[in-house]
Formats: sequence, structure tokens, C-alpha cells
Amino acid sequence: MSLLQVENISHTYRSSNRLWRSGSLTTVLSHVSFEIERGQCLGLLGSSGAGKSTLGKVILGLEQPRQGRIIFQGHDLYYADTRAARQLRRDLQVVFQDCYSSVNPRMSAEQIIAEPLNNYEKLTRDEGKRRVGELLEAVGLKADDMRKYPHAFSGGQLQRINIARAIALKPKLIVLDEAVSSLDMVNQTRILSLLSELKATFGLSYLFITHDIKAAHVISDSLAVMDKGQIVEHCRDKSGLADSAHPAVRELFASVLPEHPRDRGLGRESAIKQ
Amino acid sequence: MIRAIRANFGSPQIAIACAVVLLALFLLTVLAPWIAPHDPIQVNLAHKLSPPSWEYPLGTDHLGRCMLSRLLYGARVSLGFASLIFISSLGIGLLIGTLSGYIGGWMDYVLMRFCEGVMAFPSLVLVLGLVGVFGPGLAQVVLAMVLVQWVYYARMFRGMVISLKERNFIAAARISGSSQWNIIRRHIIPNVLPPIVVMGTLEIGWAIMDIAALSFLGLGIQPPSPEWGSMIHEGKAYIRSNPELMMYPGLLILLIVVMFNLLGEALSERLGVKKRFGKDGELKWYRRSRYWK
Repeated sequence: MSLLQVENISHTYRSSNRLWRSGSLTTVLSHVSFEIERGQCLGLLGSSGAGKSTLGKVILGLEQPRQGRIIFQGHDLYYADTRAARQLRRDLQVVFQDCYSSVNPRMSAEQIIAEPLNNYEKLTRDEGKRRVGELLEAVGLKADDMRKYPHAFSGGQLQRINIARAIALKPKLIVLDEAVSSLDMVNQTRILSLLSELKATFGLSYLFITHDIKAAHVISDSLAVMDKGQIVEHCRDKSGLADSAHPAVRELFASVLPEHPRDRGLGRESAIKQ
Repeated sequence: MIRAIRANFGSPQIAIACAVVLLALFLLTVLAPWIAPHDPIQVNLAHKLSPPSWEYPLGTDHLGRCMLSRLLYGARVSLGFASLIFISSLGIGLLIGTLSGYIGGWMDYVLMRFCEGVMAFPSLVLVLGLVGVFGPGLAQVVLAMVLVQWVYYARMFRGMVISLKERNFIAAARISGSSQWNIIRRHIIPNVLPPIVVMGTLEIGWAIMDIAALSFLGLGIQPPSPEWGSMIHEGKAYIRSNPELMMYPGLLILLIVVMFNLLGEALSERLGVKKRFGKDGELKWYRRSRYWK
């Protein structure tokens, strides 16, 4: 049995009602189905507005879809009873793109990371501190950093704190919603290798939502491409994607810049000028 | 001197000076029963309208009551009840604004249409009307003012909560398993509180003026209890012979309101409230709405 089964999900947004007429419907997801196996990472690619993030929210239980089912560990996420839903939530965590808005500016790193722990586990103060320290070290920060507040961290460090919060409860699946997109290249690489490391250590599964085909290649085991609310390509073997003929996939490949300016289709002079 | 004050508007020195004077005044009001030279309501017609003397440092009014004692006791009403009005309307506004913004839906719709209805009237006119219904008296004035003021806070907090609700850390807290109540208590409320220090200083200034205005009209505290507004009202009849009867309470009101405003200005500068909340418009909107009340 797969860890997560997404079955035939459709979702629409209704724009707010105007004075005389009701709002129009916008389809964001139509008949999306896929599965994620235990310990695997699915890279979900697509350009902006393709419905990737909405799908992420639906899977996280933040937005009930109009149609379809999310089966997580054999239970329907939206129709489980309250107790079961709480236990399911525990195994499902998230890291968002915008690391600055993902942390409460009025909480210290310790409070931020301890929040899920306090909600699910009865820990004494010292034990909680020890766990937070371990988590900080697991994501490559110092245990002393727990007293600092978010403004004292850089973007990359904050994203590490977000990851620490996400792995605090040892979840089964983490949704990485553009988790590295707002970081510079160096930090992207570092966070990606951290994520791969954590995946191996804790046996995590990821849903890696991104528009960056290179990052997806690094971390994913299989790849799916979304366009206009549908999955247009799903490759169990990530190298298979290059053979796809779908225009949305080709566009993604075309958007990748070659390593050297010489190969970017510009004249040599303009490359030097830049 | 005015130019000097304008140049230093919001500077820490002025703020500290204002804070010190206000604190001293606050202490004086608390200690009024021990330091006031006379009983503020004791009539002594033999000494009526007497000039300043060692026995009556600021002279006496038309009934021979000690002006200094009356001013001191009057400050208790003004400062005390202005703070009470601020705190209770803030509390109600915070509660209703937060729930309205966080829960949304039809409840938000109903509450906010009600608030807009209240805000459509100048607040002093509404307070006057309410006091007319409740009858004159200090408790009624306070109640009427709280009933009118909370809508401004509710509107402001609702706006802040709605913009906070969209931030990722609220979603992250939900995913971490926090209950709705914990999200409101630990994530929403601490993030909407910073501007209240600034609001408090501005609002107490307004409330002091409103209480005085209502007392001047004879709706607030009833004679013979001392209150600055009613003292101005009583002194009105002697404006030609003894203008100081009106001037002392009037100057005190002016001084206190100006100092609260200067302090508020400096605090919002210092705490960066303007930078953080003025930009999104909530505080700016709040101040404008208060200005046009």
C-alpha cells in the first residue's frame, strides 16, 4: 500500500460575489491522481499557476477539494474522525517557500520548533529543550541558536528552522512547497543535500513542489509535471522526463539556462558585456 | 519655543519629559487624598473667590472651595476613567475584531456592518445620544463611550488579523496540530498588540477631552464632585471677574492631551510601529478615523 494516494482530485475557486452577480468559478485542479510510496520523493513540476501549491494545500488538509479523495496511510484525510485525523496530521508536515512568513516573528527558535512537540507529546521543560537542541543540530544549526528570534537568522538558516519544525514529530511525509526557491544557489544546494540526508536518516517521503527542474532532479526519485490543473506527465524514472514531447515539459526544459554564457544563444560579445 | 518643539517632535527628550510629567501627575492623583490641602467639596462662603494665599494656593471658587484640591481630585476622574474607557473598549474591540477576522463568514459580515453603522455617526454625537438615553452620570458616560469606541478597535484588529491569517506561520501552526484557540492566543494576539501602546497614549488624550466635554455639558459627573469639565462650566459665570477659575482646568486638559500626543508620537517612532503598521495602513487608518470623529 502506498503512503499517499491522491485519487481524482478536482478543485475550483469561486471569485467573490459581486453586487448583482455571483462570482465565477475557476478550475485549479482537475482529476489529479498519483501515489507516493514510502521513502520516495516525488518531484512535482510546473510553471506558476499550474495548481501545484493548491494541490499541496489539499494534501496537507488545509483546503477541502470539491471532488476526490486523499488517502494517507490507508485513511481518508478529510473524512477521518477527529482523533484519527489528528494522528494523521502528525505524520504530515510542511515546509513553505517563504521562510520569513513561515515563522512567527514574536517566537524564539525554541518556541517555534517546540510547537509541534508540545501539541503531541507531553515533554518536561528540560526534555523539550534537549529535543529542540538535537533538532537544531540535525539541520546544521547550533543548539545555542534556540534563544534567538527569527530576525536574527538569515533566509537559509530560517529555512533550516522550518525544516527542524517539520521533522520534529518524525513524520512520514513532508510537503516541500517551493522550499528552496527563495534561496540563493549556494543555500539551495546546501538545503537540498540536507533534505536528502534527512530523508535517508529518518526514512521520510517528500512531495517536492517546484518550478526548478534541476533542483527536482537532484532530490526526486520520480517526477510529475502539472499544467493547467492537470498532471500531464508522470515518470517513475526521473531521466525519462527528457523524452517527453508535451509542450509544458519542453517549456520547462527550455527555461533551464546552460552552464556557460557562451551556450545561451547570445552572441559572444553580449555575453561578455553582461 | 514652538519651533523648537516642532523640530524635536517625537524626539526622545520630549517623550521622556512628557512621560515624567504624566507620571508625576498620575502619582499626584493617586495621592490626592493625602496631599490635597482641603476637602474638595467643602463649601465655605466666607472665603468665596479668594485670591491665591498660603491657605488656598490657587484661590477658591464661587462657593469658597479650594481650587487646588478640586483640580487634584478632578484629575482622578479624568485620568482614571479615561484609562478605564481605553482598556475596556480595547478589550471588547480586540475580542470581537479577532474573532470576526479569524472566523470570517457571516459573523464577520454582520459584526462589521454593525461597526460601520456605528462609525457612520460622529462618535461624540452618538455618545451624547446614548447618555441621553441612559441619563446623566459618570458611569453612564463611561458605558456610552465604551459602547461607541470599541467598534474602532474591532475594525482595526480585524484588518490586522485578516492580513496575519494569510501568513504561512498560521498554516504551519495548524499543520503542527495547534488548536484554533492556541493559534489565536499564541500567534494572532501577540502580533496585533504592538500598536496598542501608541493607541493608548492617543486614545487616553481623546477620552480626557470627551469626558470633560460631556461634563461641561452637564451630562458627566454631577456636582458637587470635582471634574475639570464641570469646573470649566461652573467658572463660566465668572469669566470676567475671575477667569482663572476656567483657566486652571482648561490649561491642565490642554497640557495633558498635548503631552499624551507627543508621547504617542515619539513612541510610535521609537517602537517602529509606524514603520511596520503604518505601511499596511491599519494604524494610519485608525488615526485618521479618530481624527475625523
